[in-house]
Amino acid sequence: MKASFNINNSVSELELNPNETLLNALRNNGFTEVKCGCNEGECGACLVLLKDKPVNSCQVLAMSVQNKKIKTVKGIGTLHNPNLIQKIFASTGADQCGFCSPGMVVAAYSLLKENSSPSNEEIVEALDGNLCRCTGYVKIIEAVKRSAIILQENKVEAE
Amino acid sequence: MFKYIKKPIEKIDGLALVTGNEKYTDDFSFDNMLHVSVLHSGFAYAKIENIDESAALKMPGVVEVLSYKNIKQILYTTAGQGYPEPSPYDTVLFGNVMRFVGDNVCAVAAETKEIADAALKKIKVSYKRLKPLLDFEKSENSKILVHKDDGAFPKIPVYYDASQNLAAKVEANVGNFEEAFLSSENKIEHTFFTQYASHCAIEPHAAVSYIDTRGRLVIISTTQVPFHVRRIVSHIAEIPISKIRVIKPRIGGGFGGKQEVLLEPIVALITWKTKRPAKLVYSRKEVFKSSRTRHGYRTIFKVGFQKDGKINAIHLDALENSGAYGSHALTVLSNAGSKTLPLLNKIENLKFTGKGVYTNLPCGGAYRGYGATEAYFGYGQIVDMVCEATNNDIIEYYKKWSIKSGETSPIFKALGEGKEGVAMTVTSTSLNECLEVGAKESGWYEKEKLYGANSTFNKGKRFKRGIGMAALMQGSAIPEIDMASAYIKMNDDGSFNLNIGATDLGTGSDTILAQIASEVLDTPVENFIVTSSDTDFTPFDTGAYASSTTYLSGQAVLKCATKIKEQILQVGAEILGVNIDEVEIYDSNVVIKSSNENQNKGEVSYEDICRYSFYQNNQFQIQAGVSHVSPKSPPPFAAHFVEIEVDTFTGIIKVLKYVATVDCGTPINTTLAEGQAEGAIVNGISYALFENYYFSQHGKLLNDTFGKYGMYTAADIPPIKIFLIDSYEETGPFGAKSISEININGALPAIANAFFNATGKRLFKAPFSPEYVLKILAG
Amino acid sequence: MLSENLKWYFPSSVSQAVELIQKPGVILHAGGTRILKTQSKNIVGLVDVGNLKLNYIKFKNNSFHIGSATTFNDVIKFSKENNCLKMLGAALSQAASTPLRNRITVGGSLKDFPLWSNLYAPLITIDAKIEIRGDKSGIYSVEEYVSDGIIKSKHIIKEIIVPENENIIWKVKRFALLKFEYPLFNIAIAFKMNGKIIEDAKLVITGVKNRFKRFKKAEKFLTGQKLSNNLSDEIEKFIEPKFVSDYKYSASYKETVAKVYFNELLSEIIRENL
Repeated sequence: MKASFNINNSVSELELNPNETLLNALRNNGFTEVKCGCNEGECGACLVLLKDKPVNSCQVLAMSVQNKKIKTVKGIGTLHNPNLIQKIFASTGADQCGFCSPGMVVAAYSLLKENSSPSNEEIVEALDGNLCRCTGYVKIIEAVKRSAIILQENKVEAE
Repeated sequence: MFKYIKKPIEKIDGLALVTGNEKYTDDFSFDNMLHVSVLHSGFAYAKIENIDESAALKMPGVVEVLSYKNIKQILYTTAGQGYPEPSPYDTVLFGNVMRFVGDNVCAVAAETKEIADAALKKIKVSYKRLKPLLDFEKSENSKILVHKDDGAFPKIPVYYDASQNLAAKVEANVGNFEEAFLSSENKIEHTFFTQYASHCAIEPHAAVSYIDTRGRLVIISTTQVPFHVRRIVSHIAEIPISKIRVIKPRIGGGFGGKQEVLLEPIVALITWKTKRPAKLVYSRKEVFKSSRTRHGYRTIFKVGFQKDGKINAIHLDALENSGAYGSHALTVLSNAGSKTLPLLNKIENLKFTGKGVYTNLPCGGAYRGYGATEAYFGYGQIVDMVCEATNNDIIEYYKKWSIKSGETSPIFKALGEGKEGVAMTVTSTSLNECLEVGAKESGWYEKEKLYGANSTFNKGKRFKRGIGMAALMQGSAIPEIDMASAYIKMNDDGSFNLNIGATDLGTGSDTILAQIASEVLDTPVENFIVTSSDTDFTPFDTGAYASSTTYLSGQAVLKCATKIKEQILQVGAEILGVNIDEVEIYDSNVVIKSSNENQNKGEVSYEDICRYSFYQNNQFQIQAGVSHVSPKSPPPFAAHFVEIEVDTFTGIIKVLKYVATVDCGTPINTTLAEGQAEGAIVNGISYALFENYYFSQHGKLLNDTFGKYGMYTAADIPPIKIFLIDSYEETGPFGAKSISEININGALPAIANAFFNATGKRLFKAPFSPEYVLKILAG
Repeated sequence: MLSENLKWYFPSSVSQAVELIQKPGVILHAGGTRILKTQSKNIVGLVDVGNLKLNYIKFKNNSFHIGSATTFNDVIKFSKENNCLKMLGAALSQAASTPLRNRITVGGSLKDFPLWSNLYAPLITIDAKIEIRGDKSGIYSVEEYVSDGIIKSKHIIKEIIVPENENIIWKVKRFALLKFEYPLFNIAIAFKMNGKIIEDAKLVITGVKNRFKRFKKAEKFLTGQKLSNNLSDEIEKFIEPKFVSDYKYSASYKETVAKVYFNELLSEIIRENL
């Protein structure tokens, strides 16, 4: 069957089954930037923004979010038009294998949009649903901190 | 001074990764593609008497079932190692004996993944259950034989005896341990245990295959070893190597777990048979139980030493739980000795005995640290114990007794990987500086005295603090075995194609290797189009393991770029009308050397050089392909310092601060080098504190999800500080050695030593679970 | 695996939803996290609560009324912004992870009492009530809800009602080694105070045998007592949680640690309020 979704600011008709998760519906319809690391809501690689809030798309049944606003990492910024947070993730070395990066970026973006000067505690809490085995998180936390500083200096929103 | 080396250069795939633009194996799909699911054994040991797949095959959408009934029983090893592999040929892709819970029963290919999964449930398997062997300490003398009459054999002439459940056996002797031990003033003997663990790369194992326009088989795979995949798939599927192409796209982490050929032969067989694309992606649960793990280990250290602390004799006896198959059994075992015993190289009498035994439990394999992690747990504590007993300061002790530049260890020659090792002299080390800087940065001298089991700081307190440290070494590549190669060609805008067999599994090696070429050719990293790990388009490389890529593949790139440089200089000189010895390269140009600043130097750009070589005179393609084998495996060194707090009421150990000083030679990319250390340390800490495989009494893995297994998030990590302390390794590119593995080895001994500092008690069994810690504190 | 023929319903009233879930195999869908965990094949229909307007937090009659479709993070946010519902806010902050807390709803977390629920212990201690619609429509205490077969009836949780009482002092704690981990147990302690006198005490642990345990002897002992330092030692003998061993921890270890935590929390609560 087909159902309609608002993905990255445009309406998409996705082919899906009624028992399908949002993650599968997205990946099967070409949104492969959303990654699957566990399918159990435990790794955060599949994070997307649902009505501006990060959720594990593997823990959302797609049919329940028809027509709701969904944003993937590509909705935050693209290779040719990256978001500041993405640029800083790359320049800080917050990406190693990069498999957790789309989810991490979604989590970081959502945090910084709500809170442009997060404390260390607020940063790690915002990232508490995202697993990474490569970096040990040190540079990821650093990238979020750097992003916050630059966003403040430029007095711009995380857009 | 370097221009492109020792710089925090951004990964060349960085922006593509963080914008979700890069493609990983599961992101590739093809028209008409079949989806594959694998049925895994629910029994630890059973003989399949029959598989009835008829109901499954009748289901609409089911296309193919692979089992022992229709595939040839070809023995191989899943270990992606050089040929002939040092791991025994004891595995068949789908056999009729199930040797662990998670072993492959059969595979189904269907039109959708849902149908394939549903079909698995329709397959009726008649098992004859056998009593499993689950205690690895009892394996050697057990009546239960894990590999009985199955023809398993070693591919190289090494000790192998399935009739004793021995997958591997290693021995090395230097001097006379027994005599020296007996005559020592002080003797200690301790037994240590380390546990199973999962690599937990966030990307699960996956493979996709299809037939290309000329009928060849193409496999896209999450592999650290594309060339070994090609060879092993060819062996199992009986498809000529010339008909197979293996592509490694981006990989979501490996850590050794993807140095294993597991899924590729399955999709290959399905595609070859049906001529349709096929995809297999493991679920997280399958990764936990059916892929590979860190081996479980028992190590017994016997040490004889003098009153002044001099160790006369050391014996390390290692017992490795290899699990159901012997993948990496021999080599991980050898490394348990060869990566630890040379550290204190002045010990004259050394003995290493090791056995790798079969059990009916998940299979060990390559895992970052590769035996060294397992052995350093005891080694690092033993050194601490000797220092404690003889009133030596451990920092000074390591400074005095550890291996120095210009020195060697007989172990290098005595312990190889399936054959005799390679004698070598260490020519680069900054370990002493690492020890000094680490002591200073961690506050070692103040805290070691402040804390202490009987200190006023800790006495009578519920929360006790302690500080501990460990010194470490590893290797860089396998000497005289591993080979890497690189190919470079020049393009007519002055850019270059850098084609390397080396496998970037997220480490950033594509970037690091481009930096090395940049430095040689004095042109920015952006001028390199890097293609790696495609068996059709890149030259051979053994793959990403043994801490080899920067050191080994990097040297191949350096040699290759040097050849390109010669050709560029030759064409440049021709254009400029001077002799080749009168020109040099500078910032993407060939310039005439001149002592006189004012003189018109004359220069020609790389772009003009390439166009000239393409279109004008003496046309040729500026290109070179070079291979490299290392005569040695120079060890990186490190010193790790950790401060902990022990809750003596609950047994919870909290890491307060971790300082690591690391000698990786020249760090080619400082950000990436730090990142390697940080990632390994966090993995090391969580391994020390809680990562483990818990099995039921029938050998079934119980904690097979991230949630049950336990993984650190950003919210759990302690402050970690890395200090890269250079040395210069002459045989490595621009002085580089390795950094990927060594830093996972420190947490176990350093935390255990810190625990001793805090409580006066020793930890002998990892992980240091709160309940175990309470037991130790009570006893 | 959920059925491919799953039917979805999007009712716009609670009564319609109640009617729909009477059919066998038709259940409610709120955040969906637990439905996906259990992956029951027997589910034939899902009744989405999205249009039922159950996502609210209101204050009336001295109580907070939290709609069952309110997510954990919404409760936490409300608690922070309005400086209220602090105990619940603190307990829910410890649950799961940020993205899951954006999906897990109050109602979903109460349904069937999952062992790791971070919600039960604090709700019991602060005398929260649960309002349900269905065969057994009504307002129940949490203990009534779980014990009287009501939890097994076909019903919709409409809201939880949390009385606001400024004289309550409380503590919550869970046992887990990691931030994102199923806790071994959750503890909640709340005292209703009259000056320095404990008017009412509640001590609850979840994750034990029989899911949860109220230490009524300890509560009785504490009621009417004046806050003093030795209270925590005096009630130690009443705190006897019983656990089941699992693959990671033995029952006796869990008991030891639970006792340590109770003692610690009681000491803290007393110290901070003396």
